Amino acid sequence: MKWRYPFVFAILVFLFGLIISRLFYWQVVKAEMLTELAQSQYNDLKKITPKRGEIKTSDGFSIVANKVSYLLYANPKQVKNQNQMIQAFSSLLEIEKASVSAQLTLDKVWVPIKSGIDAEKKEEIEKMELPGVGFEERYARFYPEASIAAHLVGFVGRNEAGEDKGYVGIEAFYDRLLKGKEGYSAELKDALGRPIIAERTLVASGLDGNNLILGLDRSIQFLAEQKLKEGVERYGATGGMVGIMEPKTGNIIAMASAPTFSPEKYWEYDESLYTNPFITSTYEPGSTFKPMVMASALDAGLITPLTKCNICDGPAIVSGYDLHTWNDKYYKDTNMIEVIQHSDNIGMVFVAQKLGVDRMISYLTKFGIGELTGIDLQGEIAPSLKPRSAWYAVDLATTGFGQGISVTPIELLSAFSVFANEGKLLQPRVVTAFESPDGEVHEIPVKVKGTPISEKTAKVMTEILANAVEKGEAKWAQLKGYRIAGKTGTASIPVKGHYDPNKTIASFIGFAPVDNPKFIMLVILDKPTTSIYAADTAAPLFFSIARDLLNYYNVPPSE
Amino acid sequence: MKKAYFLLTILIGLAITLAVGRAILQNTLSTSGIFVSEAEKEISLYKTQNAILSEKLLAASSLTNILEKARKIGFTDEKSLMVIKTSGSLAVRP
Repeated sequence: MKWRYPFVFAILVFLFGLIISRLFYWQVVKAEMLTELAQSQYNDLKKITPKRGEIKTSDGFSIVANKVSYLLYANPKQVKNQNQMIQAFSSLLEIEKASVSAQLTLDKVWVPIKSGIDAEKKEEIEKMELPGVGFEERYARFYPEASIAAHLVGFVGRNEAGEDKGYVGIEAFYDRLLKGKEGYSAELKDALGRPIIAERTLVASGLDGNNLILGLDRSIQFLAEQKLKEGVERYGATGGMVGIMEPKTGNIIAMASAPTFSPEKYWEYDESLYTNPFITSTYEPGSTFKPMVMASALDAGLITPLTKCNICDGPAIVSGYDLHTWNDKYYKDTNMIEVIQHSDNIGMVFVAQKLGVDRMISYLTKFGIGELTGIDLQGEIAPSLKPRSAWYAVDLATTGFGQGISVTPIELLSAFSVFANEGKLLQPRVVTAFESPDGEVHEIPVKVKGTPISEKTAKVMTEILANAVEKGEAKWAQLKGYRIAGKTGTASIPVKGHYDPNKTIASFIGFAPVDNPKFIMLVILDKPTTSIYAADTAAPLFFSIARDLLNYYNVPPSE
Repeated sequence: MKKAYFLLTILIGLAITLAVGRAILQNTLSTSGIFVSEAEKEISLYKTQNAILSEKLLAASSLTNILEKARKIGFTDEKSLMVIKTSGSLAVRP
């Protein structure tokens, strides 16, 4: 009998040992795995996607907003009638039957069918009551004015991690400000999957993106794009650009380029169209560069408007190179006012030689030539000025009339605005303020970069430019009753060390009204075919836009 | 002895009351989670509807749309401008 008690006791100890070892296995060895499994069952971690900030024009209209779109997905294991679903999706969503079929045959519980579905299409699909189908709500970029200012605003695509990212233009430059911050919230659920309020916690708070307020005037941008399109067609050009700036603030009020692209369907366009030519393309500005050189010599006191050119009676020979005027007409003893009026290359050689290399480099640098303007757009480039040692006599002479030197359109527009702004050079800007998610508006201050010339020189140069519009080659296109200061530019295109005689870049730059400039505008037409001269192409396009702008600003004619 | 018995009764009563109170409170809280969740769903729905309506509003007030509609109903571009100057007198005395 005695052995029975120890035997039962031993069995009990053994059984307890088994239970304890099993509990040790689950609660210690497998504890981490079980915790994760349990959390995945009752803890629902939700990602709070921030709303990307909107981009608004100066009138408060969102030219880039957000729209609700849906991702359609399916659970192939719950789909009852595959053929019916394939047929429905392919006809309704315009997708290949094979692509839907391939997704539905996958051995998965979640397969994406199509993204970017709008609310109406979603409703239509929901009405079909197809089992195993669901929608995921997302926000996508929406462009109410279609492709307006596409080069300026850029577009939003996806990076390698599948996250939204701004590419080119404002979307890229202000990406961090626009995209906001992701947040996460965890929700505890009971055994039946119902949420438990007491256990709801915010793991990480998110933040919506900031809205950007531009200096861009929607009506002027619309007008510039329409007129540019018409101009490119009328003058048979391969492309063109229009940039309009407010001289007193440096605000870009319009910037248009042709050809352009649609930011909503950017993938359908060639990548070369994404970059904004107004800040990335370089060209020899030709005669539109002359006012900067002339103003430098005037400011340095080397010439006066009535100084006579003593080399203007024929072509100039510099270091063995023959330099001519654009029309091979020469004016003996012409003065500086007439040099700009006739766009006289020899007159500008005279001015450049008076200025000398050192002063030329110094003044051009003050005008911002050879440096980035600092505009708040991604991708701006600026060709550097040649080093002092690489300047030869012929370089000095040709720079006088804008050949042998490269600039970007924004560089030229910025430099020219000095005449319209009492000699001050401002940093051009696109965004004037940003609005935080709580509605607070933060203004971005205007930045004065320097004063390249005196106020007096700026006024004198303005009068010389107003005279050029009134009596120069483009006088036929000028607006009656308005005083506009401006300059044509017909730049030859260098090809393999020579200039192509039949291909030019025609441009016109100017501001109005002379007494109180409301805008400064640069119009460029690339390789116009109806005429190679700016006076016949870019100038009339400039005046056509200027006419509507003066009307828009309620500026009556002075005569 | 009676005093001790009385205190014990109070303590037990208090413990039972608190336990019942906690059970009621937890029950209420656990079920109100569903209402909060439903309210959140409703807020989310309104936000979505708001976004859809904003989208429609922006599309309707875009210049592209206004121009198209203006053309349809017969508006054209004004080619000649008339300026009325305020500086001059309306009629000159004879």
